[in-house]
Amino acid sequence: MFFLDILSGVLLLVGVFFGFTGALGLFRFPDFFTRVHAASVTESIASILILTGLMLQTQFDLNTAKLIFILLFLMITSPTASHALAKSARHGGLLSIPESKKKKENS
Amino acid sequence: MHFGKWTLFLAVFWMLLSGYFKPLMLGFGVLSVVIVLVFLRRMDKADEEPMVISIGHRMLRYVVWLFWQIVLSSVQVTRLIWSPTIKLSPSLEKISVQNTREASRVLYANSITLTPGTMSVDLEDGEITVHALQKESIDDLKSGEMERKITSIWGENK
Amino acid sequence: MIGVLATVCIAILVVMGLALARACYADTVYDRILGVNMFGTKTVLFIAAVGFLMGRPDFLDIAIVYALINFIGMIAVLRFFEYIAPIE
Repeated sequence: MFFLDILSGVLLLVGVFFGFTGALGLFRFPDFFTRVHAASVTESIASILILTGLMLQTQFDLNTAKLIFILLFLMITSPTASHALAKSARHGGLLSIPESKKKKENS
Repeated sequence: MHFGKWTLFLAVFWMLLSGYFKPLMLGFGVLSVVIVLVFLRRMDKADEEPMVISIGHRMLRYVVWLFWQIVLSSVQVTRLIWSPTIKLSPSLEKISVQNTREASRVLYANSITLTPGTMSVDLEDGEITVHALQKESIDDLKSGEMERKITSIWGENK
Repeated sequence: MIGVLATVCIAILVVMGLALARACYADTVYDRILGVNMFGTKTVLFIAAVGFLMGRPDFLDIAIVYALINFIGMIAVLRFFEYIAPIE
């Protein structure tokens, strides 16, 4: 059990580090479309690591199954949400960096 | 056959969420499974392509491979974020997915967004518009390794 | 183990604070929605972690419900903003 505790602690701390990295990226990246990439770091790998770390803390019963379900659900919905966000930004007329460069050259 | 699978799936799902095995709670469970099945039947009539659950060993192998891919690209993006001067080459390109079926396309676009560094912005008739932090990741996608893995799950065209 | 869990909870709170700051101070509507979305995802993780810290894993049910509501709310807000030009 001791070994599992250490493994889960390491997973949790690494997951939190990735989460913090993503939040930093939200402030450091230049435009909206690149910031979505930074946010997706926190949404994919940080959730995987933190939820896996919590799974190792359970007695492998119903709670583990619930954690697996939360993980699966986040894996399906968070890309959907960022896709919808990027799509609506494009329809709203926001240009990404390569597109706005091209526009400047043309005008 | 199709409904049998759904019944089993929904029943297991109910057990997972409730965790009680008293007659009253099981009765509620049976009731909600029946209600969902009725809705499903009505939706199948409106939908041309009914949703069939199929999770085989190929899907599991793909999920494991995808997790590994997520780890690799997350480390790459993390290095980009912590580097003192941010060097990005954001690019936007279209990737053709003509010869894959609908379900595979959705899974493909979802996997692209799930791996940090690439994101699918738009998906319309056979083309996925992909935005990437670096040009190299789009070249990786164009080499088609991920697409090949996905088409091998459900087979080629319908 | 309690120490690690407490550290994790506090760190997730800090990340949530940063996301909320992004949501408050940003140029475009979409940046704000991005911040709110990240705040929601972190909240799910926070609720799950707090449940383990307090020794009450029943909190996982709340985390599931929060994940569902967060997703549906996000899609609803995006439908609303889809055809509105961004604020410069």
